Amino acid sequence: MQRALERRGIPTVSITVALDVTEHIKPPRAVFLPFMMGHHFGVTFHKELQRRIIIEALDFLTVAEQSGDVKMLPIKWSQARQEGKLIEKQLRLKN
Amino acid sequence: MTEEFNKTENKTKQLRPGLWQTVNERYPGSMITKSDYVTLAELKKPLSESRLTFVSTAGLQPKGSLPFDTVHPVGDYTFRRVPSNSKPSDLEIHQLKYPTFGAERDLNVIFPIERLQELQTEGFIGELAPNFFSFIGYNMDAEMLERTLAEDIAEAVEAEGSDVALLSPA
Repeated sequence: MQRALERRGIPTVSITVALDVTEHIKPPRAVFLPFMMGHHFGVTFHKELQRRIIIEALDFLTVAEQSGDVKMLPIKWSQARQEGKLIEKQLRLKN
Repeated sequence: MTEEFNKTENKTKQLRPGLWQTVNERYPGSMITKSDYVTLAELKKPLSESRLTFVSTAGLQPKGSLPFDTVHPVGDYTFRRVPSNSKPSDLEIHQLKYPTFGAERDLNVIFPIERLQELQTEGFIGELAPNFFSFIGYNMDAEMLERTLAEDIAEAVEAEGSDVALLSPA
């Protein structure tokens, strides 16, 4: 998919949670997160994390030097889950 | 990525290592392996002046559109346009291949439409394309996907004048 877009002159970046798949398909630019499938942008109601992942990916559009570059984001799934739980707790308190 | 990296980091850092190998053993030929890299397209303008689209395999679609055929043995090679100004409540998911416990409570974990709308409002992104694009990841004929669906979406993205694309293979 990314290749079809790049061939039309449209720069692309993807979010991946499966490094072995990325390694085989060799997308032009990708950002890796060690997250669960279906949770590429983090955890529920964690707006800052969701936003950060998008911004990190879009920033990579300007800094990736070579086709196939993969940026590893230093965020752990366990940390994301903990932060998410805290946020949900606070949201419940507010309501 | 180097061979050494593949042997060590790869297995420990992702939550589901062996995905490619497992799927390919069960469904030979369904997973693409490329030996080359495509030439990078250049960013022509700053992001704050660019039109962005989002392409997702989340199986997301506007309520009322024809549901993806999630049980067809070779997959569904169609896509849906998702208006970029949609609200999460306008949308629903039809797919069987990834856990949706997060998306059911907050769609933004897999299809961050509200975050993208906010980034547009703030001016971080110049503008969102009129539509985002979605299809299902369960497609057993990788060659057909590349030849038809990928080209169809790329054509639609180009027709809307998008300058950059963010992708999320669910």
